[in-house]
Amino acid sequence: MYRYDEFDHAFVSERVEQFRDQVQRRLAGELAEDAFKPLRLMNGVYLQLHAYMLRIAIPYGTLSARQMRMLAHIARTYDRGYGHFTTRQNLQFNWPKLSEIPDALADLASVEMHALQTSGNCIRNVTADHFAGAAADEIADPRPYAEILRQWSSVHPEFSFLPRKFKIAVTGAERDRAAIQVHDIGLHLKKNDKGEIGFAVYVGGGQGRTPMIAKLIRDFLPEEDLLSYTTAIVRVYNLHGRRDNKYKARIKILVHETGTEELTRQVEAEFASLRDSELKLPEQDVEAIAAYFAPPALPQRAEGWENLARWKKADLAFARWVQQNVQPHKNPDYGMVTISLKPIGGIPGDATDAQMDAIADLAEEYAFDEIRVSHEQNLILPHVALADLEAVYRGLVAIDLAEANAGLITDIIACPGLDYCALANARSIPLAQEISRRFGSSERQAEIGELKIKISGCINACGHHHVGHIGLLGVEKKGAELYQITLGGSGDEHTSIGEIIGRGFEPDRVTDAIETIVDTYLGLRLDPSEIFLAAYRRVGPQPFKTALYGAAAEAA
Amino acid sequence: MTKIWRETGFVDNDPWVIETDEVKATGEQKPLLSLDELIAKADESNDVGLGVLIKPADDVRRLEPYLYRLEIVAVAFPAFNDGRAFSHASLLRQRLGYTNELRAVGDVLIDQVPLMQRVGIDSFAVSNATALKRLAENRLPAIPHHYQPAVRDAEAGKGYSWRRQAKPAA
Repeated sequence: MYRYDEFDHAFVSERVEQFRDQVQRRLAGELAEDAFKPLRLMNGVYLQLHAYMLRIAIPYGTLSARQMRMLAHIARTYDRGYGHFTTRQNLQFNWPKLSEIPDALADLASVEMHALQTSGNCIRNVTADHFAGAAADEIADPRPYAEILRQWSSVHPEFSFLPRKFKIAVTGAERDRAAIQVHDIGLHLKKNDKGEIGFAVYVGGGQGRTPMIAKLIRDFLPEEDLLSYTTAIVRVYNLHGRRDNKYKARIKILVHETGTEELTRQVEAEFASLRDSELKLPEQDVEAIAAYFAPPALPQRAEGWENLARWKKADLAFARWVQQNVQPHKNPDYGMVTISLKPIGGIPGDATDAQMDAIADLAEEYAFDEIRVSHEQNLILPHVALADLEAVYRGLVAIDLAEANAGLITDIIACPGLDYCALANARSIPLAQEISRRFGSSERQAEIGELKIKISGCINACGHHHVGHIGLLGVEKKGAELYQITLGGSGDEHTSIGEIIGRGFEPDRVTDAIETIVDTYLGLRLDPSEIFLAAYRRVGPQPFKTALYGAAAEAA
Repeated sequence: MTKIWRETGFVDNDPWVIETDEVKATGEQKPLLSLDELIAKADESNDVGLGVLIKPADDVRRLEPYLYRLEIVAVAFPAFNDGRAFSHASLLRQRLGYTNELRAVGDVLIDQVPLMQRVGIDSFAVSNATALKRLAENRLPAIPHHYQPAVRDAEAGKGYSWRRQAKPAA
């Protein structure tokens, strides 16, 4: 993984001191809250419902054991002993004191981490495929490009006061595990006929109150033009993005109002003037960054195959966990392990300091010191020998994180909702917990198969409900919480926005409604290999509407 | 009270005035014209030494034929969080090759000044009390390591092509 050099070290410590000065001025009353706000947001500091919140960047989701231990330390020292992994490959702490945040940032800097640009109207933490460098279907590792973008966007003098936040995601495999089509810029790595690396460039995707799927504006952008082309896009956005209405300020609205063709023309015109500038990427620099992401040397561990077969036979729970949470690695002797942060009845994405420490130990001992955070609020050990799976599993059982539910109905994404968030209209966490308990039996989950439930407590869609196979959106109606259900959303390479199925449900009726939807699916699928999403795409919403609202809905 | 600051210190007797219904340029003073006024005036005269005020929604590229006749371009920050003038400044310096005075006017705060300098702004109309105090003490909250090339002259940073390092103070 990327290691800071002297330049990076100097930069992050200068940035911590710069922020310390801003915090001191704020506490001394020299800096008004409205002027302090964009400055603190650019350093990851929110003001939430109950307290300040610190959002730490985990660039492209990659962490080492040492970094994970520091996160545990921060949870213990400055917070209440736990942290929350988010859908944007960040970690949030909910209870830090403003006066102590510069110290927490200094601690982070000591392990090559920061909270830069995890919030605010700037270019946010760049996200990437959580299986990068390990997945069998990978064309190229997206992380070197995400790292180059991370550096380039850090305290960018032209782009620190954009109309709204700006999110970039990069993926390098056939399967899109970074949801690039619901980002402001989505980059899909590909190779051309000559075997050269480039990007398909998508612009203007996003969720929130106006969900939109990104438009492809460049089929193949050469690698060397990554920064000049991105600069062109962000400059067009900075100059022409709407600033009259916060809800229309994202680039997706600009793309929609300008039209894809005209916007592409503007971007290409800007790019024509930038392509031969200092922003052109020299091949040796790309190679030097890429060298940091070279996969670990993986020793042959062919004995794993036999061991695994034996262990699976001896322990059904282990077999189930391997089946669900271990995915094929590029190297057949290895697997990619998903550590589910969705124990039955738990809070999606939460981990305690002790759990973080234990995961760090496992990563060090069995996983070449690498941990990833997925946008589905789980952790990943990307390189684990099959021969070590049993030991890893035992380690996870000991900290209650061995739930065998990756990709299943209880692997729910949920935003923090009304329990923490100043924006929320409804709770997300208790609902996720109730659904998780209702469908908690492993036999039932296995029968249902792949099914992604995503819950947002408000229209801002942090829980990605628009791209949930089943999406739940909390709304407030006459002082009461109500949940709208959407069906058929997906955030992969065939991105779709879910459709609202009908009127919303009261909190105590939502789980029953989900059960009705699930039972309807089980009744109409062609066979168990047809997952919920495929079945929905085949039959459409009507059978679900009828099941939920009765035959009267058929006329609607 | 608005004062004009440049890296060399506060400027006395700055002649440039943003005219309003109440305020007009008098005597030695000169008006900062709107983009349309500037173009009209430049087209109907041979005047040089002109000044123009670029508003956020203006297309700064329209200045191109008149640049050699401009003594100052002011870019407006109607609120500190309206960042369009950062792009105007970049375009003026990098694309159009404008080399005379480039001034930030409006909501100019101390924490934004280092970013404004990096996009080529070299003159600042400041009224915020903290900003005035810090500038008087020459305490800019700038950091010397940069991850991207920008307008302001800087040394190549160690490592990768996109890095820059502020030149040490002379």
